[in-house]
Amino acid sequence: MNSLTNRFSTTGPLSELKRAQALVENEEFSDSAWGSEAGFGSLAKGVPNFTVPSVPDPSAFLRLHTDDHADPNCRIKIQHGTTTLAFRFQGGVIVAVDSRATAGSYVASGTVKKVIEINPYLLGTMAGGAADCQYWETYLGIHCRLHELRNHERISVSAASKYLSNLVYSYKGMGLSMGTMICGWDKTGPAVFYVDSDGTRLKGDLFSVGSGSTFAYGVLDQGYRWDLTDEEAQELGRRSIYCCRTPRCLLWLTLEDGWKFIGNYDISKLHYDGPGETPGAGYGYDVRIERSTAAPVAVQA
Amino acid sequence: MSIMEYNGGSVVAMVGKDCVAIASDLRLGNQALGISSNFQKIFPVTDRIFLGLPGLATDVTTLRETFRFRVNMYTIKEEREIEPETFAHLVSSTLYEPTGGFRPFIAATDLIGCLNFAKDFVVAGTASTKLYGTAEGLWEPDLDPEQLFETISQTMLNAVDRDAYSGWGVVVHVIEKDKVTTRTLKGRMD
Amino acid sequence: METSFAITGKGYVLVASDTTAARSIVKMKTDEDKIKVISPHLLMAYSGEPGDTIQFAEYVERNLRLFHIRNNYALRPSAAASWIRRSLAQSLRSRKPYSVNLMLGGFDVTTDTPHLYWVDYLGTMTEVPFGAHGYGAYFGLSLLDRYHNPEATLEEGIETLKRCINEVSKRLVVSPEKYKVKVVDKDGTREIEL
Repeated sequence: MNSLTNRFSTTGPLSELKRAQALVENEEFSDSAWGSEAGFGSLAKGVPNFTVPSVPDPSAFLRLHTDDHADPNCRIKIQHGTTTLAFRFQGGVIVAVDSRATAGSYVASGTVKKVIEINPYLLGTMAGGAADCQYWETYLGIHCRLHELRNHERISVSAASKYLSNLVYSYKGMGLSMGTMICGWDKTGPAVFYVDSDGTRLKGDLFSVGSGSTFAYGVLDQGYRWDLTDEEAQELGRRSIYCCRTPRCLLWLTLEDGWKFIGNYDISKLHYDGPGETPGAGYGYDVRIERSTAAPVAVQA
Repeated sequence: MSIMEYNGGSVVAMVGKDCVAIASDLRLGNQALGISSNFQKIFPVTDRIFLGLPGLATDVTTLRETFRFRVNMYTIKEEREIEPETFAHLVSSTLYEPTGGFRPFIAATDLIGCLNFAKDFVVAGTASTKLYGTAEGLWEPDLDPEQLFETISQTMLNAVDRDAYSGWGVVVHVIEKDKVTTRTLKGRMD
Repeated sequence: METSFAITGKGYVLVASDTTAARSIVKMKTDEDKIKVISPHLLMAYSGEPGDTIQFAEYVERNLRLFHIRNNYALRPSAAASWIRRSLAQSLRSRKPYSVNLMLGGFDVTTDTPHLYWVDYLGTMTEVPFGAHGYGAYFGLSLLDRYHNPEATLEEGIETLKRCINEVSKRLVVSPEKYKVKVVDKDGTREIEL
């Protein structure tokens, strides 16, 4: 990258970080004021530098090593088969994600956490490149904290997502791959923003991202209403992730005083028994049909 | 992507003491999109020969029909049931996949018809690499029918959990001298 | 983009297909009927390569008709489906294969049961309680997994079908605007206005 521009520019994320560091150093904040530096200690002290492969076309270089469709033996495999969703309703924001990481046909892990808890009232979901999402959303967390220190108030979800979208836009064309939803609660109430590595940023009530998103939308759209109760909203989140056939479903609920983790559900258990303790109350098609033919009482909405 | 991965699916067969077992998953997919969770890949050929055919689903159906035809013709001509070994050669000459039969006998062919008569177990399908691992770890000689059922079930269930193109339930046939036991297992549905 | 859905219910199969005939990015026609009645109790929704679709559908239609004339009875849905599948499988390994995807909905009058078969251009066939082809499948299958009921009345079945169609119009970028819906039951086949 052009290091000269970096050093002398007065706009953009890097120079802003530099100014923030200067501020921190001048006011002699102790390290403890930062809380955990979340592994960004070195970044906060030196001039931040994001190394780009020293080749004429970094994105082509990256594609060469990450495109497992073209070359199944490529060196770096990007996370595929992801489903993440978030929606706003009267009781807050529901965030639900799957847990599967596949590399080609190989199920690399069934217990991945695809939500980044940016801070106690902001959540970010991960789809696309896991490393890109993890790195930049944690980085976003730092800046949300700096915003708080500077302005003595919490950053709005809108501002936080705008920060991230400007940041990834500045790297456009260099091969970043992320599709994320920034969710939280601010002065305006519950909010969900979709941000991706193209630089798109959308405000909305309901989003789903990842290759399984179409399946999730199929269930989500049909069951979604603004006046969903908390219990109904959680159920809708679980069912929407269930239909994408991942090993586990992780669920968060964002409230006025910050998010809380609802649960980690085993999809096979949801398939056969549902979320409760009643055996046979599962979401599975076969299970549901067996139930309705055995006792034709409950036709579920 | 190879044609073996297009629809997904895996089969494993194992030898026990006076018994054999053959198991397959039940998924039919269109690459990552699941179409059916009740697609049989194991077919009874005679009362004691079972044929497992993972691979491109169109060929699975066509071959199953071809074998049914040829075995019927053989039975009419010879006026007796076909022997497992003979049938394995029939499969081989028709250029395809794995079989399990009786007189503790299992055999596999690769997709161009090369025969592999194994004394322990044979695997095929998209989860075959994973099946080798689990089968190698779990199988031991002289298992009785119940032990063999447990072994092949665990082998299959654990291998398909690590394969994105196999799964959605497992069916197991245990073949003994005088009976065949078929069981459908509750597999992980993801 | 071409989309077709089919669902079974209590004593019937509903088959829906969009009505656009497109070439490149242009809609050439918006009221094309892509569901053929191929025997008194059998419906076939077809999609795929333009040209191949109609050729193959008519080939199937006439061969089943020929069978009916020669033998004085129509093939049952399972038999007809097997024959159609085999035609596609043989065509796949020929010099010029048919690129046609099918949903076959039939009512077996001998056993009084509805049957639905999902068939793709490779000759893959499987019997399903509900199925879909085209981009609509990515939205419709999860929805049907949640809402489909094989014991539903015709009215309930139509409601479920409407859900699918609404979902596709809501989410698919190039969604078809009109659908033709046909039903097959013990009385034969007929068209339904949504």
